[in-house]
Amino acid sequence: MKKSPTKDSTKWFGARLPRKEDTRLVTGKGKYIADFVLPGMLHAVFVRSEVAHAHIRGIDTSEAEAMPGVVAVYTGESLKSQMKSMTQKVLIPNLPAQYPEYWALATGKVKYHGEPVALVVARDKYVAVDAAEAVAVDYEELPVITDAEVALKPGATVIHDDATSNEIFAMTFTGGDTIEAQNENDAEVDKIFREADVVVSERFKVHRTGVTPLEPRGALCDWSETDGLTAWITTQRPHIDRLALVDILDIPPEKVRVVTPRDMGGAFGIKAPFYRENVIIAHAARDLGRPVRWIESRYECQMNVGQERDQVNYMEIAASKDGELLAVRNRGIANVGVGLVGVYWGFVMPFLGAIELPNAYTWRKGDVKLHCAVTNKTSNTPSRAFGNYPTRFALERAIDMAARKIGMEPSEVRRKNLIPELPYTSVTNDFYDSGDFIKVWDNLMAQIDLAEFRKEQAAARKEGRYLGIGFACGVELSGVASELMVPMENQPGYGSATVRVEPRGALLIFCGDAPSGQGHETTTAQAAASVLGIDPGDVVTTTGDTGTTPFGSGSIGARYGAVGVSAVAKACEQIKAKMVRVLAHDMEIKAETKDFEFKNGEIVYLLDPSKRKAFKDVAERIIMSPINLPEGEDGGLETTAFFESDVPMICFNADCCILEVRPETSEWKIKRWVTSEDVGNVINPMVVDGQMHGAIVHGLSNAIFEEYVYDEQGQQLSADFENYKIATAADVPDFELTYASTPCPHTPLGTRGIGEGRPASVSGALTNALCDALEPFGVEITELPIRPDRLWKKVQEAKAG
Amino acid sequence: MFPAPIREYHRPSSIAEALSVIAREDVGEAIFLAGGQSAMQAIKSRMLQPDCIIDLQAVDAIRGIRQADGALEIGAMTRYVDIAENVALDGPFAALRDAASHIGDRQVRNRGTIGGSLCWNYVAACMPTVVLGLGGVCHLVSLKGERSVPADDFFLGPLTTAREDGELLSAIRFAVPVKRSGSAYRKWGLVTDALPVVGVCVNVSLSGDGRCTAARVSLTGLPDGAQRSTSAEDALLNSDCAPEVLRSAMNAAADSVDAQSDGSASADYRRQLIRTLGAEVAQLAVDRAKR
Amino acid sequence: MKTITVTVNGAVYEETVSERMLLVDFLREQLALTGTHVGCTYEGVCGACTICLDGEAVKSCLMLAVQADGHSITTVEGLAGDKLTPLQQAFIENHGLQCGFCTSGILMNMSEFLEKNPNPSDDDIRHGLIGNLCRCTGYVHIVKAVRAAAAVGR
Repeated sequence: MKKSPTKDSTKWFGARLPRKEDTRLVTGKGKYIADFVLPGMLHAVFVRSEVAHAHIRGIDTSEAEAMPGVVAVYTGESLKSQMKSMTQKVLIPNLPAQYPEYWALATGKVKYHGEPVALVVARDKYVAVDAAEAVAVDYEELPVITDAEVALKPGATVIHDDATSNEIFAMTFTGGDTIEAQNENDAEVDKIFREADVVVSERFKVHRTGVTPLEPRGALCDWSETDGLTAWITTQRPHIDRLALVDILDIPPEKVRVVTPRDMGGAFGIKAPFYRENVIIAHAARDLGRPVRWIESRYECQMNVGQERDQVNYMEIAASKDGELLAVRNRGIANVGVGLVGVYWGFVMPFLGAIELPNAYTWRKGDVKLHCAVTNKTSNTPSRAFGNYPTRFALERAIDMAARKIGMEPSEVRRKNLIPELPYTSVTNDFYDSGDFIKVWDNLMAQIDLAEFRKEQAAARKEGRYLGIGFACGVELSGVASELMVPMENQPGYGSATVRVEPRGALLIFCGDAPSGQGHETTTAQAAASVLGIDPGDVVTTTGDTGTTPFGSGSIGARYGAVGVSAVAKACEQIKAKMVRVLAHDMEIKAETKDFEFKNGEIVYLLDPSKRKAFKDVAERIIMSPINLPEGEDGGLETTAFFESDVPMICFNADCCILEVRPETSEWKIKRWVTSEDVGNVINPMVVDGQMHGAIVHGLSNAIFEEYVYDEQGQQLSADFENYKIATAADVPDFELTYASTPCPHTPLGTRGIGEGRPASVSGALTNALCDALEPFGVEITELPIRPDRLWKKVQEAKAG
Repeated sequence: MFPAPIREYHRPSSIAEALSVIAREDVGEAIFLAGGQSAMQAIKSRMLQPDCIIDLQAVDAIRGIRQADGALEIGAMTRYVDIAENVALDGPFAALRDAASHIGDRQVRNRGTIGGSLCWNYVAACMPTVVLGLGGVCHLVSLKGERSVPADDFFLGPLTTAREDGELLSAIRFAVPVKRSGSAYRKWGLVTDALPVVGVCVNVSLSGDGRCTAARVSLTGLPDGAQRSTSAEDALLNSDCAPEVLRSAMNAAADSVDAQSDGSASADYRRQLIRTLGAEVAQLAVDRAKR
Repeated sequence: MKTITVTVNGAVYEETVSERMLLVDFLREQLALTGTHVGCTYEGVCGACTICLDGEAVKSCLMLAVQADGHSITTVEGLAGDKLTPLQQAFIENHGLQCGFCTSGILMNMSEFLEKNPNPSDDDIRHGLIGNLCRCTGYVHIVKAVRAAAAVGR
C-alpha cells in the first residue's frame, strides 16, 4: 500500500482509508484456496448420497479405481480403523444435548441428500469427476423425515441409531436453572397472559435459508513424515480446525499446521464449523504421501452448507392497552437438519436465537422454550444473524400485530418498551453491556416524518395506491464472551494478537482469526498505527496461520471489532510502555507512558517537546542495541496480548422501510430504507458502511428470494444459483445509513464488533411495512419467504373474508 | 462440474461444412453449438454428453439482421446483444428487442443467440415466445435440402422442436407486416431478468380507423412452454383495442391456460400475471402500432 | 487434444488442450491466471469468471477453451497497464469490494459496460450488474464505484 493519504497520525483512527487488501484484489493477484498449487498435487472429488435416508448395502469402487489417472478411492467403513470419529470433545459444546457419533464419510447409513459417501483422488480433476460418477452405491431406502414437527412426534423414525429420539436438544431459557423455578416462572407468565388487555398468539415460520459466499469451501493438504500435516483450509477458525485434525487423525500436535488462505471469498458463518471433508482430505494426503486438493463445487456447497433459519415459533405476547409489552412466550421448534457438524451440531444457532429472543425490550416476564429436531436435511450451519433470524422475525411481527390491536403506532410501542438504560439483563439472562437504545431509536425517527407519511399514505389509499412503513430493531452480540463461548462452543471468547516491531520500525501483526473480506488488514493497521503514531502503510498483518499466530477462536460473531482489535491495541500499549521505559532511561528522565506522545512517527516528551526521537530509531535501539538498558529490561520488541472484556458486549440497530405495494399483483418497491446504528467508535467508516449494506441485502435476499427447497423424499432441489435465487444489484435499493453510536466503555478503543447479527431485524421491517401498506385488507404476514405471489394470495383471501 | 469427454471439436466456416460433419456416420452424438449459454450448462452438468461439438461461431452466413424480399431475416447465430442494440427493430419487431435486452444478463447477451434459444426451446424462455408471437418462420437446412417451418409448427413442447437430426437452423424470417403494426414482450421473474415465471408477447396490426386487423398473443412460463393464446387473439381481432378490450382479452388468456403451481408462483398468480402484465404488454403493442 | 492459439492480455499462447477443457480452467490452470474465479457449478450464473473476449464481457465457464482459438482475451490481470484503470481505482476508493472473489468478473463486465455506456444512471449500472452476484457488499458501493469511474471517464 502507498503511504496513507493523511500525514496526521491522530486522524488515522476513524479515517476512510482505502483498504490494504484492495490493490491485489482488483488486479487479480489475490490468492484464494483454488489458486494454491503444489508439485504433484492430486485432485479430490466426493461421491455424495443421492438419497436422503438409506442403509448403504454396498459401494462398488472397482470401475472407478480402474480408470486411468485414478489414484485412490476411499469409503467410510474402511476409514474407521484409520482415524477416530468426528464426535470429539474439541468439537462438542458444553451443553446437554445428544451428540451422535459420525465419521468423515458416511458409514452404515446415509442421512441426507448430499452426504459424503466416498472420495475419489485422481491426477486430473476432470478424471476425478468421471471416476466419481463410476462409483456405484447400493442404497436400501428408509423413511424420510423433513419436517421438524413430524420428527418430534411419538413413534417417528429415529434418524440417529445412537439417539433416543429426534429431539437432539431442548431447553428452557427463562425462570432459572431448576424445574421448580421455571414452573413458578411459567405460572407467573400464565397469570400475566390471563390478565392482559391484549394478547397476540401466532405461529410464525421461517424457511430454510442462509448464505452462499461466492467462494465455496476447499482444502489443500500436504503431508511430510518429518513435518507432518500442513492444511490450507477455507476456515474462519484455523486454530480449532488444527485441534480437531490432531484429535481425529491422531497426529502429534506439533505436527499439524492449519492455514486459512489470506484471501477467502466470503464466509458469513459457513466456514466456521469443522467439516468432515477436511479430515478425509488430510487423511488422503497422509495416506498417499502427496498433496491433495479439494475444491468444492457450488452444487456441493448448496447441498451441504449455508442452510439455517428453518424454524417454527409459536409466539405469544401480552400487552397492556396503553402499549406496555408485558410478557413473551415462545415455543421454538427448530429443524436442525441431520445435525452432524462439528462445533454447532445444528442446534447451537437456535440456542443463541432463543437467548437473544427478547431483543431490546423490557419484558416483565418471559417463557422461552426451544425444541431442536433432527431431520433428513443437511445440518444447520451458521449463517450471518446466527440463530436470530427466525425469532426476530416472529417477535418484530408480533409487536406490530399487538400495536394494531392496541391502536398505537408500532414505532411508538417499540420506543415505549425499549430498554431505557444499560446495562440490563434480559428475561433470558442475556446481558446487554452498554449503549443507548433510545438515542438510536430517536435518531431513526428523526430521519423520517411519520405524521407526514401517514397523511401521504391516507391520500394515496384514496387513489388506490398502497404505501407502507415498517420498523424493527435488533440487539446483537459484539463478540461472544468466554462466559457464553465456553458453554456454547467449548472455546474461549478472548481476542488475541502478536505485535512485532521490526528493527526498521515497521509493524508485523499476527492474528489467529481468519477474515473473509471484512478488511482486517486495514482496520488492524489503522488501530495499531493510531496507538503507536506510525503510518498504517508500515503495518502488515498476517492472519489465520496457526504456525505463526496466537490462539484465537476464529472470525465469528463480530469478534474482531470487539475483542480482536482490542487485543491489538492492548499489545501496542505494551510495546509503547516498553519503548517509553527505554527512551526515558536514555533521555535520563523519570517519566511514564502518558508523558510521551506517539505521533507522526515520533515519540515526543510532552513536558519538553525538544526531547523527541523517531519511532524507528527507538525500535532499532531496543532490538539491535540491547546494551545500557534500564535495569531488568530485555532487548527485543514484540508482545502477544489476549483481550477479554470484563462483560459480554453488544451492538444495536434499528431499521425503517418505506415501500409501495402494487395492488394488482402485490409486487412492491422499496422507496426508502433508513437505518440508525450504534456501532461504537468506528475505525474505518467505509468498512462499517459496507458491512451494513451487505448485511441488510443479506436479510432482504433471505426474506424474499432465497430458499433451500426439499421435496418429500428429502431431495434437495435448490443446489445451484439457477434455483437458489439471490438478490442481484437490480433487486435491491440503496440505503440511508445513519449512526447514533455510543463508544463501548469496555474496549480500549471504544469499538464494538458489528455486522454479524445485522440481517436479523431486516425481515421484520420489510414485512411490517408490507402489512402496514395492506392494512385496509387486514393482511398479516406470518411466514417467510414473502414473495409477491404469496402476498397476493393473502390479499385475495382477506378480500374474500 | 466439468464436461464428459468430448472426442471432436469442429469449427466449420460454411453451412455445407457444418452439415457434412454432422452427417458423418462415425461422428457419434454430435451437436451444433451456437452461443452455448444453455447448452454449456447441460454439457457441464453432463445432461448432454456429446462426442462431437460443431461450433457455429465461424459460419458467417447465418449471422446478422437483414431485410430481404419483403421479409426481415435474422440469422440464427445473431446474438441477443445485436438484436437488443438494433434500433431498426421497432414497431412490429419491437418485441424482439424487448426480449433480447432482458435475457439473462450482459454476459449472456454478448454470447447467446436467437437460434440457440429457439433450438433449445426451454420451457420458460423469451425468444421462442416472441418468435411465436411474431409469427416467424424457421429456415432449416440439411444435406437433404432446405425447408421452412412456421413457428407454430416448430415448437413442439419443452426442449423439443421440429428440427430433425442433421438439420441446421439457419435463419428466422418475419414477413414485414402492414403499416400500423406493433409488438411488445414483457416477463415477470422472481429476480430481475431471470427466466420468465410468466412472459407475454402481443403483436397487433391496426386498420386506419384503429380496428385490429391481425393479432397474435403468445405466452410462456406454462407447463407446455411457449404457446399462443387464441382466446386472447379472438378477443382482440376486429376490436378497437380500447384498454378494457385489452384487459378482457388478457383475462380470457388467463382463464384459458393450463397454469402450474411451483416454487416461483402459484397457478392463480401466474394467471393474475397474464392478466396484469398481459394488459400492459397489449397496451404497449397497440401504442407502438399507432406510432 | 487440440492445439489452440489465443492472445491473452496481449501475449500470444500456443497451447494444447483437451476438447472438454473449460476456458476458465485453461486460463486459471494452464496459463496460471488465477484472477478469474469460479463461483458456480454448471449454471454460469455468478459471473465471477467474466472475461473480455474480443472486447466483450462473457462468462469463461460457459465456453470451452477450444472455442477461444484465434481470439483475443483480456482477464483482470490484463486490465491495468503501468497504473490501475479508473475503474479499478474507483473500486478501491469507494470500497467497491470486500472479499474480492466476485470483483474480477465485475471489473471485466463493467469495463466493457462503461465503454458502451459512458454516462450511465444508477439503474443502468444495477441492470448491467445482474450477471455478477456479490454477497458481501449489498452492491451499494459497487454502484458508487462504477458511477465514480464513469465520471472520471468523462
